[in-house]
Amino acid sequence: MLNLPRWATDCLKRRDPALLASGRPFALYEKQKSALKLVAVDASVSRINVWPGHNLTDARALIPNLEAREIDRPLVESLFADFADWHSYASPIVAVLPDMSAFGDLALDITGVSHLFGGEEKMLKSVLGRLRELGLEASGAIASSIGAAWALAQHRPGAIIGEDADVVLAELPVSALRLAPEQIATLQQLGLKRIGQLYAYPRKALQARLGASLILRLDQARGLIDESIKPRLPAPERFVERRFAEPISLLDSVMETTRDLAIRLSGLLEAEGMGAQAFHLMVYRVDHKVMCLSVRAARTTRDPAHLARLFANRAERLTGEFDAGFGIDMIRLGAAEVSALDPLQAGAFDGQGGSGDLIRLHDRMANRLGETAVLRTTAVGSHMPERAARLEPVIQPPAPPAAGTVADRKRPLRLLPNPEPIRVTAEVPEGPPADMTWRRVTYRFVKAAGPERLGEEWWLDHAPLTIDPPPGKDEEKPRTKKSRYGWDEEDEPPLPRRSMLFRDYYTVEDDGGRRFWLFHDGLPGTEGAGWYLHGFFS
Amino acid sequence: MGPGKQTALAALRERIAALENRPPLAETPARRLKAAKGFVAAPPGLLHEIFTPDERNAGAAFGFALGQSRPLITPQRPAVFYIELAHEAQERGLPYGPGLDHFGFASETLTLVRTQTMPELLWAIEEALGCRAVAAVIADIGGAPKILDFTVSRRLSLRAASGGASIFLNRYGTGREASAAQLRWRVEPAVSQGQSYDAQSPDAPRWQVFLEKGLLSTEHKQEGSHWLLDWKNGFKLVERTQGHGPAGEPPAPTPLPGAQPAALGDGLLKTA
Repeated sequence: MLNLPRWATDCLKRRDPALLASGRPFALYEKQKSALKLVAVDASVSRINVWPGHNLTDARALIPNLEAREIDRPLVESLFADFADWHSYASPIVAVLPDMSAFGDLALDITGVSHLFGGEEKMLKSVLGRLRELGLEASGAIASSIGAAWALAQHRPGAIIGEDADVVLAELPVSALRLAPEQIATLQQLGLKRIGQLYAYPRKALQARLGASLILRLDQARGLIDESIKPRLPAPERFVERRFAEPISLLDSVMETTRDLAIRLSGLLEAEGMGAQAFHLMVYRVDHKVMCLSVRAARTTRDPAHLARLFANRAERLTGEFDAGFGIDMIRLGAAEVSALDPLQAGAFDGQGGSGDLIRLHDRMANRLGETAVLRTTAVGSHMPERAARLEPVIQPPAPPAAGTVADRKRPLRLLPNPEPIRVTAEVPEGPPADMTWRRVTYRFVKAAGPERLGEEWWLDHAPLTIDPPPGKDEEKPRTKKSRYGWDEEDEPPLPRRSMLFRDYYTVEDDGGRRFWLFHDGLPGTEGAGWYLHGFFS
Repeated sequence: MGPGKQTALAALRERIAALENRPPLAETPARRLKAAKGFVAAPPGLLHEIFTPDERNAGAAFGFALGQSRPLITPQRPAVFYIELAHEAQERGLPYGPGLDHFGFASETLTLVRTQTMPELLWAIEEALGCRAVAAVIADIGGAPKILDFTVSRRLSLRAASGGASIFLNRYGTGREASAAQLRWRVEPAVSQGQSYDAQSPDAPRWQVFLEKGLLSTEHKQEGSHWLLDWKNGFKLVERTQGHGPAGEPPAPTPLPGAQPAALGDGLLKTA
């Protein structure tokens, strides 16, 4: 557990060198119930006995040269989150502990990693040392439960306790239990000042007076109840990493390293007979930022060449955004969703090309272009043209073939995602169309077949089929809305213009030989009925 | 000169010939364009351009590309990719599974790729060509993007030749930029014959196809370079005497502005 009591002022000072150079006392205030109260102060302010909670005007009177600013909480919090990510150099599971404040408390799960630093004591020292070098005030402690570690970091910085947490905690004041200020005040009134006094106190009485949260906090601190933290970065199950004595900054060098790491990771996985589906590349910058690139594979894999290519493709898209800052001092490649992979599977039948090659191609495309950009068609048992075919990302496992698909009806080769309204004249009412005007051009039909009446499946609990007005032709910006007949039927825009009962489809051919698929929506003569163009035959 | 020297010389000549043949631009197809029931069956590994004058003919051009790519599918190469820009779907429509099946093209072989930008589209084509399981790539390109210049098309044609998959670039409009395509088709829809039991009903797809660029074997040269084709689960030549085309006899391919008229036969130009 690390505690950075002056994170808000320290991080702003680091961002603003002029402020640091001026050496003036610095405080942050916030408007609370129409009073301006201090919420964070730096060391020179607290030396004069001004603490968070004081009025800003009082503080100004006490410290004439006080530099006070209003706190920008989202900024401070996001800076702290980035800062937390950077700590994953020490342990893969890092979390911000938001119980008391959205910034300032950092929890690291160091189970099984402390030996890399030469023991818990050395690890704590090195982590805190790095923070002090950066000009951040920090304290830390190691304990077997989150609650105890927090209490120690606040009141016994540098303590490392294992099993005897109860004894050490007994001496600490009750404020070390992550309680609300009112609870602490009540405990003080009761004369309960040390945690040890609570051990023997009847729990029922405590709960009745102070709420269940006190009991919870007490048990968490004593390690009687498990408490878990929510890691910020995806926690890889297997990882390899490389640290650089001299920070690197070029994207090419990063990719070079990625290739090496991929080979090492693949060796690691192969030794265990495992493969993985998700891979995360974490790039640690000297200035405490972590960039995380993730790729997914459709099939479990451990092929280093394939991995390196996936990351290279992904990185190509980043070139503009890639910013190494002051340099990169560590790169880690992790694998998640690890499962057993038959050792024969890789390379045995690769000589003849075939399916493995195709799956790798799908992976590369989906990871570079986006999962929803590479699609396959699957048939769905439905009469409605929009629903009869479904586009699915190829990277997903194929769905079982749907039952009841209608085979070999005359259907167009291309279907417009949104049917477009057209103007049609027919020689006889309700007869086949004689011409149409579509996109300001008139087509005269020489052949027509139909109608084929397609009705909505009333027995299915679908949202009623609607026809969205097609986007205007003059619209310049690329349309981001996904196709209506597709993989996203659930998040269709809620635009129930008019429900539909049936459509009459016609196949027509104009005098130039173009073959279209038109439909008439609704009963002729009723309100809202109209003609639409839906597809093109070859 | 001893026999040893002669063989050495012959080997050298072969090597030089191989070196000279290295850019597989325009040489070999002539020998290989063989007849398939009257129509040209292009071998794999070529860059085709399929032009149609108007975007509203997109269905016809797509059908022709599918018809050309279907014979290239083998058990070793089971996949065909269709690549387009994501925002153009509403312009010309998306490939529709049941329609593909009706056409005689198994819809599960077609993978749809929708990219955001033109460079990504070209990247996707190249990636697909590099895959040994891909039989053909059909790219739908509207307008005349600047990035698709001669160098890029040359790159694609070399990729196709080395990878063994064919590319079909579906293009729209009447402009013809310089390109390294081995074959350039112009496809226009034609009024279909009409079904025997209902003359008023549209029949199987019918196209007028012009070969604007590319080499033909001698038997095709006699026929000229235009065909009237039906799709009856395979290309089928329509007898000229039927005269169902719009003007009876299809017009001769007109020279197009901005480009050399396609040289047919053996005197093929290297570019344009």
